[in-house]
Amino acid sequence: MSSLFDLAVGTMTQGLIYALLSYGVYITYKILDFPDLTVDGSFPLGAAVTAVLLTKGFSPYLTIPVVLAVGAAAGLATGLIHVKLHVRDLLAGIITMTALFSINLQIAGSNLIVDRAVNTIFTAAPTMALLGGTALIYRKLIITFIIAVLFKILLDVYFTTKSGLLLRAVGDNSVLVTTLAKDKGTVKIIGLVISNALVALAGCIVCQEQRSFSSTMGTGQVVFGLATVIIGTTLFKKLSFVKGTTAVMIGSILYKVSIQTAISLGLPANLLKFITAVLFLGILVIGNYQKSGVKKSA
Amino acid sequence: MKKLIAVLLSMAFLFSVTTGCSKKIPVIGISQYGEHASLDNCREGFLQGLKDAGLTEGKDFTVNYQNAGFDDAIATQIAQNFSSNNVALMCGIATPSATACYAAAEDKDIPVIFTAITDPVKAKLDSGNVTGTSDKLPVDAQLDLIRQLQPDASTIGIIYTTSEPNSVSAIADYEAKASEYGFTIEAIGVTQQSDVTQAADTLIAKGVDCFSNLTDNNVVGVLSSVLEKTSEAGIPVYGSEVEQVKLGCVAAAGIDYYLLGQQTGAMAAKVLKGEAKASEIPYETISEYGIYINSAALSEMGITLSAAIADKAIESDKA
Repeated sequence: MSSLFDLAVGTMTQGLIYALLSYGVYITYKILDFPDLTVDGSFPLGAAVTAVLLTKGFSPYLTIPVVLAVGAAAGLATGLIHVKLHVRDLLAGIITMTALFSINLQIAGSNLIVDRAVNTIFTAAPTMALLGGTALIYRKLIITFIIAVLFKILLDVYFTTKSGLLLRAVGDNSVLVTTLAKDKGTVKIIGLVISNALVALAGCIVCQEQRSFSSTMGTGQVVFGLATVIIGTTLFKKLSFVKGTTAVMIGSILYKVSIQTAISLGLPANLLKFITAVLFLGILVIGNYQKSGVKKSA
Repeated sequence: MKKLIAVLLSMAFLFSVTTGCSKKIPVIGISQYGEHASLDNCREGFLQGLKDAGLTEGKDFTVNYQNAGFDDAIATQIAQNFSSNNVALMCGIATPSATACYAAAEDKDIPVIFTAITDPVKAKLDSGNVTGTSDKLPVDAQLDLIRQLQPDASTIGIIYTTSEPNSVSAIADYEAKASEYGFTIEAIGVTQQSDVTQAADTLIAKGVDCFSNLTDNNVVGVLSSVLEKTSEAGIPVYGSEVEQVKLGCVAAAGIDYYLLGQQTGAMAAKVLKGEAKASEIPYETISEYGIYINSAALSEMGITLSAAIADKAIESDKA
């Protein structure tokens, strides 16, 4: 029984870490209606910077603001390419993502492993002072929970500010933004900056949790992000009091739970992605069924 | 309400999970990075190694085998699964899986046995409750073999992936030792699999006398298409292990991953029997390497074997 509990804790931790990435994709895909492929590059970027900083002996807490900044820079690059150089949204993301592949390798040298003797946010002295009595897997859960919830709240608060409202307006009705005499390009750039800062932060935490950076770890992260956003928002479509950020956080956890279930059931590894696809389809169908079952309100 | 359903749904997922903790037979969790002939050989050898040590599957241990399909995030979840189920021992095949197992065992004393890792020091798997075997290439033997088969050759072309630490260290090894055998190395680094065939074209255009192949995952994945190009250009390709020779490399002074796995299995048996702790066993490099040849490929390239080599060589032509 305890092993099952541990498994749930570990899976929950993964879901919460990757929820940061889901927030990022939620902002670009769901709010801005911008298919941003930068994610496949900014996620490993966060990990690369973290791995290098940790091996060079910097404080693991310092990696968080640094990674937020470099992730923001990646988003800024995509934003500027799209808005100022008038490159289509999809292509702008592809350009930054491709450049980042090289930049990440340049930063890290090659795939990096962080020695167990090096402290991470899960093992550094201040963490131990607060949570030293708890086992590492619970520490990991507590810390990732705090981070995931903190950034969720920050985002929720931001969405109620003027800038946050404009962000939402650009995706829904960009003409309105223009009539308000606001530059929708700037708003898009802000959205991309915030989104990629969060995605890079996810890479940072994954790197600290896994103690490694690999150049290919970004592959498929956009797809993961989109899946979790769609799972989350579809499940909670009818519950307007559930915030989008909460929905995608749960989407991320569900995704990781489904993978872990497949592993635990001993399903052939080659089928793991297929199981995910089935889950994905199932949720979408349930979502559609709900829509037609209830009186059309939207 | 829906939130409740979602929570219940996720609980149901978790409770449907099978646990392994009630059984008394120790479980060995094998996490393999992906399906790939060399890695599969490693795993089969590993199980044989356990058997050779007198342990019977189903009686002395059971195996929980998982592979990550070359996805790091899944390798993480597999390792977590093993750790949560408190397996008796984890076996990580290839670097990403081994490091994931080691990370998941960070606060538990579960021994981790790795294999198919070129540089355990660089992978930080050289201290702690972890041990295993390294598949470091016998570069001297390979250079010697090429010299004997192609006495007039002067340049060796090598394609490698810049992000694979295994390959980077092998290239450094080649470059340091090439001049002893009168070779120069023409190495091209790529970042992804789709660049490999272009790199092959470049090397062919540069007029290298032969290719030597590493255990680079990216390159091995498209080795067949590289071989197609080189055989058209009449350039022999040397492999680094038996599976590559089966694919059509002319020869290799290389390791047999089955033997490597067997050696690893013997180490795991010691740990399982309680004869030694993983932390007390230093990692091992394969002691035996073989000369593998593919006669069809050799004759296509017009290379004849000296009697000395022919005696030692193991025919590895697929046909």
